[in-house]
Amino acid sequence: MYKYLNIFIICLVLLVSCTGNKDVPQSKQESRDAMKPNWIIGMSQCNLGEPWRVQMNRDIKNAAEENPKIKVIFKDAQNDSLKQRAQIEEFINADVDLLIVSPKEAAPMTPPISAAYDRGIPVIILDRRILGDKYTCFIGADNKKIGKAAGLWVVERLEGKGKIVELKGLMTSTPGQDRHSGFREGLSGSDIQVIFEADMKWLEPEARKEMESALARFDQIDLVYAHNDPGAHGAYLAAKAVGREKDIIFIGIDALPHEGQIYVKQRILEASFEYPTGGKEAVQTALAILNGEKVKKEITLPSRIFTEENIDSVGEDIEQYFK
Amino acid sequence: MDKHKYSKKTITKLKRLSSLPVVRALAALCFVVFIGMIFNAEGAFFKWDTHRDMLRHISVFGILACGMTLVIITAGIDLSVGSILGLTAVLFSLFSIHLGWSPFFAILVCLLAGLGCGLTSGFIIDRFKIQPFIATLAMMVFARGLAKWVSGGQKISTAVLHPDGTYKYVEAPKVFNFINSKIFNENLAVVTLIFLGSILICWVILSKLRWGRHIYAVGGNEEASKLSGIPVTATKLLVYGVSGFFCAIAGICQAAQEIQGDPEAGMTYELTAIAIVVIGGTNLMGGTGGIGLTFIGAMTIGYLEKILSINAVGEASRLMLTGVIIVGAVLFQKYRK
Repeated sequence: MYKYLNIFIICLVLLVSCTGNKDVPQSKQESRDAMKPNWIIGMSQCNLGEPWRVQMNRDIKNAAEENPKIKVIFKDAQNDSLKQRAQIEEFINADVDLLIVSPKEAAPMTPPISAAYDRGIPVIILDRRILGDKYTCFIGADNKKIGKAAGLWVVERLEGKGKIVELKGLMTSTPGQDRHSGFREGLSGSDIQVIFEADMKWLEPEARKEMESALARFDQIDLVYAHNDPGAHGAYLAAKAVGREKDIIFIGIDALPHEGQIYVKQRILEASFEYPTGGKEAVQTALAILNGEKVKKEITLPSRIFTEENIDSVGEDIEQYFK
Repeated sequence: MDKHKYSKKTITKLKRLSSLPVVRALAALCFVVFIGMIFNAEGAFFKWDTHRDMLRHISVFGILACGMTLVIITAGIDLSVGSILGLTAVLFSLFSIHLGWSPFFAILVCLLAGLGCGLTSGFIIDRFKIQPFIATLAMMVFARGLAKWVSGGQKISTAVLHPDGTYKYVEAPKVFNFINSKIFNENLAVVTLIFLGSILICWVILSKLRWGRHIYAVGGNEEASKLSGIPVTATKLLVYGVSGFFCAIAGICQAAQEIQGDPEAGMTYELTAIAIVVIGGTNLMGGTGGIGLTFIGAMTIGYLEKILSINAVGEASRLMLTGVIIVGAVLFQKYRK
């Protein structure tokens, strides 16, 4: 019997100490209430394993920190559609004021996002689309257009003829397909030959391996077009290992500040085409929506090209290639 | 009559020879090389550069497979090798690029980190009697998380973030360039030399030290080994520790070759490492196998990838062919009359 009494006393003491603790920081809590943001924004990111998406979150965080009225809660779905679905449902249950979603896939993400929209929560979709039109605003860049700009740039740079290598991103993903088809569209009509193409799955070690094969097979390669900057960097390392990096031009896509832009600065890449994350624009649009303003349903982000000439300024708009 | 007898003797001799794992592993390798000679991509397969690049590419996987061989001989498995590689690649880049440590110190700390991860796995397996598959699966997830935490989710590259939000570019440390370079008149990559060194270390452990006999004994029959006074706990701890140690070596090589520490590096590398060991002919049930077999296995996988790559085979057919050839090679190993 004494044993249970002891446990009972311990429980009692714990309970008292717990309630006691709660009393103490009440003044603190009050001051926190004064600092409380007006709006809570839920941000569901599909995969933080990709540097580009880490940058997107960072852009959102930086933009949100400038405005004390909003607070952003981040969730990472780790490349799992069902996990992302659950996270969006959690946000709905938590009554967030606005949702920002960068969906993994269109079909599985459409029902939960539509459900949120139907409950009156404004939804901003970033980068990848969903089916139907049950969202407030879509913000994204155009991969096909960027690919085409790269193609047109290559035609201009090589004066219409040459032998090139294309290192493709994962060809089962839409960015890979669009960056490929847009590029080929840009090349069409010129005498430029794609002599070697391989799927490097967005990975630098894979790109290096494939480029080694291309170098072993062909004595003349004028240019390498990689679907992302790490791919172009891997190809450069392969060429450098055999002393052929000076004879080849390397270009890539994404132009992240710590990746592509640095490679251009180091003269490793001759050009990198920006694929903007839209993080800053998403926060601006969110503020507009929350303030009751009307926003456009579709926002296409402008893309820039970074070259050795303009790397120290802010790059140039790729629109110049479509004139 | 005599002649008949002689030839029969030769046949049995040949039969015995062909049942040796080494001969079978070599046969699989020769088969793959033969395919390469037929599909030589306009002679690219006959250039030494192709072979040197193949050796460079397979080295990191091969180093992982060295530790894996020891683990598999004890009838265990180590799924955490890819993640520990990622972790040490991040640590090595962080120490030498961002913090500017001396290469000696950076390498030492990375090797200790790898060793620590491996020993932890070994301790959990032995002390709590948890299956190696589960324990190293946990380490795989944990080490990947640690790599992401240490790096903040970003690649640790020569672009260093300054407090004002801009990126500044710094030169890659000399040790990176050295590991990434080639020696012997540009004919052999330094990482390949490190791979050969790792093979040598494993050979000494398995063939020259008493500890090597302990590894085979534990894999053959753990209970019997324990009863006959073999230090099973120490053997297991050391095997996983050595595996972690080799992961750290591979991680350092990976970072040097990419000139950055990628927290995602090494994803699915554990599967390639296991495939190398198994294709070589080391049995997953433990007790048999050897490091020479692993070396041949690494060459087989390396040539296979290289041949598919120089012929620019599409991704879909590449995966299917790899699957078929792996099964074929293992079946070839297994077939005994």
